[in-house]
Amino acid sequence: MKRLPLLLLVLACAASLASQGLDPGKLGQAPTDAWPTYNGDYSGRRFSPLAQINAANVRSLRLAWAFQTHGTTAISSTPLEVNGILYFTLPSDVWAVDARTGREIWHLNRPAQGGLAGAGHRGVAIYGDRLYYATPDAKVLCLDARNGHVIWEVQMADPALKAFGSIAPLVVRDHVILGVSGDIADLPGWIESLDPTSGRLQWRWSSEPRPGEPESETWPKNSDVILRGGGMTWLTGTYDPELNLIYWGTGNPHPVEAGDARPGANLYTCSIVALNPDTGHMAWYFQVSPHDTHDWDAIQTPVLLDANFHGKPRKLLAQASRNGLFVLLDRTNGHALLNVPYVETNWIRGFDERGQAIPKKETEPHLDGALAKPTALGGANWAPPSFDPQTGFFYVSAHEGMGVFYVTMPGPRAEGWGGRDFVLAAKPYLKAIDYQTGKVVWSRDTSGSGFGWPGILTTAGHLLFTTDDSGKLMALDPATGKELWHAYTGAGSTGAPITYKLDGRQYLITPADSVLYAWSLPAP
Amino acid sequence: MKPSALVCATAALAALASFAPARAQGGPAQNPAPPRPPAARAEDRASAEAVARGRKQFGQTCAFCHGQDATGGRGPDLIRSVLVRHDRNGDLIGPVVTGGRADRGMPAFPFSASQIADLAAYLHAQIALFDLHVRAPGGYANDIPASRLATGSAAAGKAFFYGAGGCSKCHSPTGDLAGIAKKYDPQDLETRFLYPSGAPVTATVTLPSGARMSGILLLNDEDYVSIRSTQDGWYHSWPRRDLKSVEVHDPLAAHRELLIHKYTNADMHNIFTYLETLK
Repeated sequence: MKRLPLLLLVLACAASLASQGLDPGKLGQAPTDAWPTYNGDYSGRRFSPLAQINAANVRSLRLAWAFQTHGTTAISSTPLEVNGILYFTLPSDVWAVDARTGREIWHLNRPAQGGLAGAGHRGVAIYGDRLYYATPDAKVLCLDARNGHVIWEVQMADPALKAFGSIAPLVVRDHVILGVSGDIADLPGWIESLDPTSGRLQWRWSSEPRPGEPESETWPKNSDVILRGGGMTWLTGTYDPELNLIYWGTGNPHPVEAGDARPGANLYTCSIVALNPDTGHMAWYFQVSPHDTHDWDAIQTPVLLDANFHGKPRKLLAQASRNGLFVLLDRTNGHALLNVPYVETNWIRGFDERGQAIPKKETEPHLDGALAKPTALGGANWAPPSFDPQTGFFYVSAHEGMGVFYVTMPGPRAEGWGGRDFVLAAKPYLKAIDYQTGKVVWSRDTSGSGFGWPGILTTAGHLLFTTDDSGKLMALDPATGKELWHAYTGAGSTGAPITYKLDGRQYLITPADSVLYAWSLPAP
Repeated sequence: MKPSALVCATAALAALASFAPARAQGGPAQNPAPPRPPAARAEDRASAEAVARGRKQFGQTCAFCHGQDATGGRGPDLIRSVLVRHDRNGDLIGPVVTGGRADRGMPAFPFSASQIADLAAYLHAQIALFDLHVRAPGGYANDIPASRLATGSAAAGKAFFYGAGGCSKCHSPTGDLAGIAKKYDPQDLETRFLYPSGAPVTATVTLPSGARMSGILLLNDEDYVSIRSTQDGWYHSWPRRDLKSVEVHDPLAAHRELLIHKYTNADMHNIFTYLETLK
C-alpha cells in the first residue's frame, strides 16, 4: 500500500533528472554546498569558505549521524557531496549515502578479480550524473550515480602484473584523468585521460621518456630498466583553469631500493609534472627526489596557491613531499622558489642549479645497511594536506623518524624491490609550515594508541580539523594549533574530513577507521 | 606513546590504508596468517614438493637461457613475463615448453603434464618471492647473514658501548645481553639494538590530594590522562586539569636520541659486530 506512492515519487524525481547530478560549473568553484572533487576544488587546498561552524561556536558541535560500512578496511577515501548525496569508497565498495541523515541510498560491492584489494582507496569522481571508480583489479568503471549500475568498464592495466586502481580520478571538462598504482613488480607508470561518455582513451603520458627522447639519458643506456622504471601516479592531481595545466606527482623509480641497477636521475620519477589536460603534453617538470632509493615518491598533493611571495602576487605550487622537503614552485614554469626540510633529514648533499636535491651516497641502501631519515613511510604520505589562506600556513600530517635500508639484490640486474627496509622509529606530528619561508611555525604531537594517517581540512571559520592516532577528532586554531574542541571517535583515521552546507546547515564529515561521522551545530 | 614500530615498509605500504604498527616479518603481507587446518598443511606440503621438483627441472633444462632464478639471460625474464603471470597450472606455459618457439631459438621440450605442472609451480613460487622483494628461496626478514652485517670493528663497537653510546649505563654483556647473538637472528638483532620495541612508557601522576600514583601510561593528551597502576593493577583516568602534575618516563628515550641524532652507519656496523661476539 505504502510502497507504490513512494516508488512513483522516486520515479518522478528521476524524471526531473539532471537536478541531482553535478553541474560542471561547480568544479571550478570553492566548495560550499557541494564537495564535488577529491580535494573539494581544483586547487587542492582543502580550505572551505564556510564559517557557520567557527572558532566561537565549535564547542557546541554535536553528532548528526554515523554511517557504518562494516568494512574490514579503514576508509581512506575522501567522500564527494553533490546535491545532498555523499559518494565514497572502500577498495571493493562504493556507497551513495544521504548527506542529511546518513541513510544508505545504494551500495555497490564488487569483489576484485586479482589486483590488490587490500590497498587503500581514495574515492570516486563525478561528471554530470555519472561516477568514475578505479578498481583494485585495475579497471575503470563508469557508474550511474542514481543507482550504482555499471554503464561501462575499461581495463586500465594488467592486474596479473600487480597493477591496481586506488585513485580518485580528476574530471577536467570532458576528460576523466587518472593514474595507476602498483609498486610490486617493475611497471612503468603513466597518467591517462578517458572520454567520460565512452571510456575511450584520449591520451596517455608516460612517467619515463622513451629511449632516445630528451631526459632518457637519466637512465642507463645498456639496460632496459627505463622501460620498467616505476613512477606510479596514484594520488589525484590539481588543475589551474587559467593556465590550462594539470599538476601531478609521480612515484618512485624501480627497482625500488637497488639504485645501482639504474644510475642517473631517473626522470620523470619522483617528480611534479605539469601537463596539458587536452593533449597530455608536458609543459615542465621538477624532480623532487632525483635517483630515489628510499621509496620516497612525490605523489603528495601539489597544492595551488595564488598568494604573495616576497611581496609579489604569484601563481604558486606547494608540496610537502615524502622525502621530507617542502617544495614551493612557480607553477607557470616549474622554477623552484623554496626546497627546504619540514622534518629531520640526513640524506641531502646539496642542491643543483635547478634547486633539486642531490642525495648522499652514504644514506642510500647498502648491503650492510644504511640509516636514513625520514623512514620509508616518509615525512608525508597519502594523507591530504591543507592550505589556509587566512593564516598563510600549509598543514601536513608528518612523521619524524629513522629507517634502516638494505640492498638485497646488488648489481645491475636487480628488479622489483631489490632491497628491504625497516621503520625503526616514526612519530606523527601535525605541522604548520609558513609557505613563504618553509619554516615550521608550530608542530603538534599526534601520536596515540592506534594507527592513523589523517587528512586535514581548514575553514573560513578559523578552524582546522584533523585526528590523532588514538582517534581524537580535534578542532584546532589554525594560527596556533591550540585545541578548541574534541571528540573521541574510537579509532585513528586514514581518511580526510570534508564540509558542506545543506538546508542552511553546515555539516562536517569525518572518517574514523571504517565509520563516517557527521557533525553539525544544534538546530537553531 | 607510539609503539616503537618495526614496520617493514613494503611495496604496497604507501598505498595501503591500514598496516599493523608492529614488528613485521617483511614483505607485503601485513597481518599474520590465521592458523590453518591440517588439510591445508598437507596441501602446502604437496605444493612445496612440486615447487622443489620444478626448481630442479628448471635448473637442468631452462636456467641456461632463462637464468637460475628465472630473471632471464640470453632468454627472456620469466618473472616479468605477462604470459607466465597469466598462466594457471601450466595452461599457458605448457604449449610454449612443449611446442618451443623456433622463431626465437627456443627448442621444444617433450615434457609430461606433471613436469609442466611442476615447472609452473616453481615459476609461480619464484614470482611470489620476487613480489615479496626477496630473492633467496625461503627468504624472509631475517635471512640477511651475520657476515654481511658484521662489517665493522668489534673493538670500536665495544668502545662505543662503554663510552660515547652510554649503553653500559643500562646494559651488560654478561647480564641482560649475555648470549644475545644466539638469541636473535642477525637482522632481528640489528633492528632491536637500533631501536628496541615494546618497553612501555610509564608515568607518575600527582592527585589533587597530593597522593601519587604510578603505572603504564595509556593516554596522555591535553584533555585526559590514563594509566594502568602498578600499585593496584586497576585502570585509572583523570581530566588533566584535575591533576597537579604528570611526570612521564620513556625508557627508550636514550635509544631514540641515539638513533635519531647520534648513530652513524659506522656506529651501527661496529655495534653489530661487537654484539655478534656475545654468543
